Amino acid sequence: MNDYPQVLFKNRLPGETVTLRSYEKTGGYQGLRKALKMSPNEICELVKDSGLRGRGGAGFPTGIKWSFFPSKAPGEKYLVCNGDEMEPGTYKDRQLLRADPHQLIEGMVIASYALQATAGYIFLRYAYEECAQNVERAIAEAKAAGYLGENILGSGFALSLHVHRSAGRYILGEETALLNGLEGKRPNPRAKPPFPAQRGLFGKPTNVNNVETLANVSHIINHGPVWFQELALTIEGSGTKLFGLSGHLNRTTCFELPLGIPLREVVETYGGGIRQGRAFKACLPGGASTPYLTAEHLDLPMDFNPLEEVGSRIGTAGVTVFDETTCMVAVTRNLVQFFARESCGFCTPCRDGLPMVSWLLDKIEHGLGNHDDLCLLAKQVQNITGRSFCALAEGAMGPVESLLRLFEQELKDHIQKGQCPFL
Amino acid sequence: MPTLVIDNREVTVPEGMNVLDAAKAIDIVVPHFCYHEALGAIGSCRLCAMQFLEGPVQGVKMACMVPAQDGMVVSTSAAEAVELREHVIEWLMTNHPHDCPVCDEGGECLLQDMTIAGGHYLRRYRGKKATYTNQYLGPFIEQEMNRCITCYRCSRTYRDYCGGRDFGVFGSRNRVFFGRYKDGQLESPFSGNLVDICPTGVFTDKPFRFKSRIWDLQEAPSICPQCSLGCSTIPGGRFRELQRIRSGINQTTNGFFICDRGRFGYGHVNHPERPRDPRVDGLPVTMEEAITAARNRVDALAAKYGGASIAFLGSPRASLEGNLLLQAWAGRVGSSQSVFDAHQGRDHAARSLAANLASLARSLSDVRQSDLIILIGADPLAEGPSLALAIRQAVRQGSEVIVIDPRPVALPCAHQHIPLPPQLLHMVLKALESGQYDELNDAQTQPAVKTLRSKIAQAKLPVLIGGADMLGGLGVKLLCDAAKRFISAECNIGVMVMLSGPNSFGGAFLNIGGPDFDALIDAFQEGRVRGLVCLESDPFREAQFPAKAQAALGHLELLISIDCTPTLAAKRADIFMPSRATAEMAGSFINNEGRLQAFHQAIEPGMPLSALGPGKHPPRLFQSTTPGATPQPAWQILGQLLDRPADLNQLRRTLAAENPKLKALTHVDTTAARICAEPNGIAAALTHEMFSADSSAGNVPLLITSAFVGSHWLSHLSSPLKALREEPTVWLHPSLAATLGLKHGERAILSTTLGRCHVRVQTSNDMAQELALTYQLLDSALEGMSPGTIINCRLTGEEGQ
Repeated sequence: MNDYPQVLFKNRLPGETVTLRSYEKTGGYQGLRKALKMSPNEICELVKDSGLRGRGGAGFPTGIKWSFFPSKAPGEKYLVCNGDEMEPGTYKDRQLLRADPHQLIEGMVIASYALQATAGYIFLRYAYEECAQNVERAIAEAKAAGYLGENILGSGFALSLHVHRSAGRYILGEETALLNGLEGKRPNPRAKPPFPAQRGLFGKPTNVNNVETLANVSHIINHGPVWFQELALTIEGSGTKLFGLSGHLNRTTCFELPLGIPLREVVETYGGGIRQGRAFKACLPGGASTPYLTAEHLDLPMDFNPLEEVGSRIGTAGVTVFDETTCMVAVTRNLVQFFARESCGFCTPCRDGLPMVSWLLDKIEHGLGNHDDLCLLAKQVQNITGRSFCALAEGAMGPVESLLRLFEQELKDHIQKGQCPFL
Repeated sequence: MPTLVIDNREVTVPEGMNVLDAAKAIDIVVPHFCYHEALGAIGSCRLCAMQFLEGPVQGVKMACMVPAQDGMVVSTSAAEAVELREHVIEWLMTNHPHDCPVCDEGGECLLQDMTIAGGHYLRRYRGKKATYTNQYLGPFIEQEMNRCITCYRCSRTYRDYCGGRDFGVFGSRNRVFFGRYKDGQLESPFSGNLVDICPTGVFTDKPFRFKSRIWDLQEAPSICPQCSLGCSTIPGGRFRELQRIRSGINQTTNGFFICDRGRFGYGHVNHPERPRDPRVDGLPVTMEEAITAARNRVDALAAKYGGASIAFLGSPRASLEGNLLLQAWAGRVGSSQSVFDAHQGRDHAARSLAANLASLARSLSDVRQSDLIILIGADPLAEGPSLALAIRQAVRQGSEVIVIDPRPVALPCAHQHIPLPPQLLHMVLKALESGQYDELNDAQTQPAVKTLRSKIAQAKLPVLIGGADMLGGLGVKLLCDAAKRFISAECNIGVMVMLSGPNSFGGAFLNIGGPDFDALIDAFQEGRVRGLVCLESDPFREAQFPAKAQAALGHLELLISIDCTPTLAAKRADIFMPSRATAEMAGSFINNEGRLQAFHQAIEPGMPLSALGPGKHPPRLFQSTTPGATPQPAWQILGQLLDRPADLNQLRRTLAAENPKLKALTHVDTTAARICAEPNGIAAALTHEMFSADSSAGNVPLLITSAFVGSHWLSHLSSPLKALREEPTVWLHPSLAATLGLKHGERAILSTTLGRCHVRVQTSNDMAQELALTYQLLDSALEGMSPGTIINCRLTGEEGQ
């Protein structure tokens, strides 16, 4: 059913989790063996050459992030895997850890070696108990097989991995809030600088990467950067991406597809088209904090740069699709309510600004808005975006900004009709 | 020293200063909440937005989070920044109640100021407001969470700055709650700072509630009279009642914060039993008559028995001017018998400090910047609470703290405690000085002191801290000697000693070579001294051995008292003249680092309106004079008696002319040079007589010391602080408790030569092993126990009786 090469999902079988033995059969831990023969710097260069960009939403080039890491600094250094997948519409890491958790372990050992980290933490969403058990089992298997612990594969390199279950707030996905949470403190984001690479977990240099990002590492080492670049359909892109489909589609599952695949193909071929034969109206291309795409964007290649060019982001590639009968004001209100509820309460634009936006959208949705409210809403977006302490509030403004930009008429209809036109 | 341009004006600021402070330096104030000089920047309120036009960072940024750098061009009035500030204020105000007209904070509310400054005037938000259930936080702090704007200042003050553990942040989003995990009295001895630090009316001064609007208060900068550190305070009063005290700002001493004893310990000023009327032989007279009588009787006694038959007892809580004039009076009648602290040990400690401190003196600000702090015989929370706060700040910057003390010393920061018995403290100091450890035969103490020596030698800014009660005069000298031994180009070592009162140092300075109170006691008994003038002092209670002192004082023919509190001396005096409390007068104190500081008059004396009639306004009793307004500053009473200038400035000039070392008196401010005495001036032998215990069978040595609340006369008279008073307690090391057959939490009977009383037994591993420990508690069975002494006691379980 999926014609594209499978990398992360190649061992995926319905209802099963890959064990160490079957993982090894399909080339598992070969990347690690290869990596341990290389120098840490060579691995960083290789990852940089591969063009791998962070899969957690921000899309920062992984190799460049690693090159900022003071791997030669003495003392404790940490690698943290961010598995606090709480963005509405995003569930790819869960699928990955359900299917094939050893990829993460192998990726983390290689990354730790490249960064010369002394310990690794896997920070998982509170609801991912099944994944946590899978990872714990994989850690135990890897340890027994000598892929983890002291003197890994006789290389002299040592690493311990620990699973941490989150207390369960969206803000913990923000890397510095995650570090505070991991330390047992209130998960408020930290000021940057200092960046985690300088002063992170317990004040030590720390590198934070997403589950999917780390899972890609062993394959890059195994098959080389050119192979990885060629996986993508766009020239500048590289690698595959896990697309988690949701919303008004006939098929809402997670697919591994090449970066650069047209949105239309994602929706029609893999999503099986819009439910009940209705028309595509809009989608969130990469989770709840990415600006909407509309039917005019259906032929866009789903990759970092093309989406940024039209004012959106690929984010986590959790594609949520809305059909023609959906009120986008109601959708946006629902999203903003989520973000307002998940604000950590640290900075004013997020803590008190988001409830104000939520109130405005509520008012408009109920037909109680006026044209001044639209100006007010636009000003809120303008003054929250880029002005909050961390990216949470800015992400929350993504859908609101695109609502104002793409669905202005729909907003005006609410005001003119004095009620939601979709009722 | 980066140079930048803010609103077209160039400014050069120290390295590391943020742009918000850089703007402040040229009087450009941008609204802000979460940033506070003492607490630092966290960037949570997002209000101090400025537009960075040129330089290393550009765009709208929070000025508190950006360090000033060369080449920056910043605008505070750029449209984008102004618009953001308007929005932030609007958001902050979305949940804020419209109760300004009745809010306790009204008039000194930073939120009011910043709302106006931020340009917000109309609430467009019509949604639901966040509302909260308030907590009971004890007798000092009232909480009204609905007013909260979530600036995090309170939790940063309480937890980070003051080291409190029972208050913090709860919840998330727009339901963040600042409080305790459940209702209850705040545990930190610095909890009152929440009142000063909260930019709006969430945490307000509970005893002050509903008493006055802020703008009706009479306020003036003052100095806290509760201990020797000389923290800056701002008392505020109305209707002749001292209604509250807030922290003053003095970067050299307390910084921005004070302790709860200083803040809530002002009850003596309004005390219902405060003596306000002059008396001669039990009959009320006018002040002039009392002054004349005092002068005549002293002169008569001097004529009959000679000037030496009159003694003068000044006090650590009397102003420097008052003490100086008392000494002048002694001089006029030809008496050399003037003493300035009835407590022998404390007096010696103060004099020893005044004589030896010199350039070793360190301020609280120096302590905050120290990299190694060693406390020997010092318990800051009892003897000078703000010092504990200063020590915490040093620890937060990486300083190490080592406490050598028999008591289980509590500090709001990490520290290492070496619990040694009191008699070893002097030996430790000698060993520190000499490097000879022979006297320390204890297997654990020797290496500990050796380590200490090498740590001091390696530190850059170490401070040795002592306390008057445990060290006495000899100990203070040994402490200074030890410190001097380490002075080098790399090691800028200093000393701080906590004394008993705000002007202990001043009194010691005046009497560096004079007699001490023990000499007076002998003279009373032998009839050599027949008259005693007490200036704001109470030898009946304050003497190191009160029982002995009381017996001797019975021999006196003439007792004169000048005071503002209901002391025993005031009650028993033949002639009594009421004086004013610190908040009611101007004067000066010399604090424990030798710093001469002036205080100003905040309120006029008189019976508080609330104490007259039903306590409601307007007063029901109409009269042309103010009831209870007779008290005058002690220096004014003595000035009249001695025909000195009635004007304080003139008086200071004449006093300075008479005492060249007090030249600074003509121009007193907090930056004045420190005062110190001649090191070779001490005549009194600096013995240390705290030990009067013998360890014969069945006896346990009982070390008496002071508590945070209950042992200090002025704060003892303050009713809100009573909530912090502990019940009579005896602390024991578990091993001694086991020997005595006592358990933690049990009640026991404490028998000493001073009587028997019931106490609660507490045990601690963190104290010296072979002694019992108790705190003096005024107005209790433990009142006669004077801090800084060791007596014999017996402890038996209540059930054994």
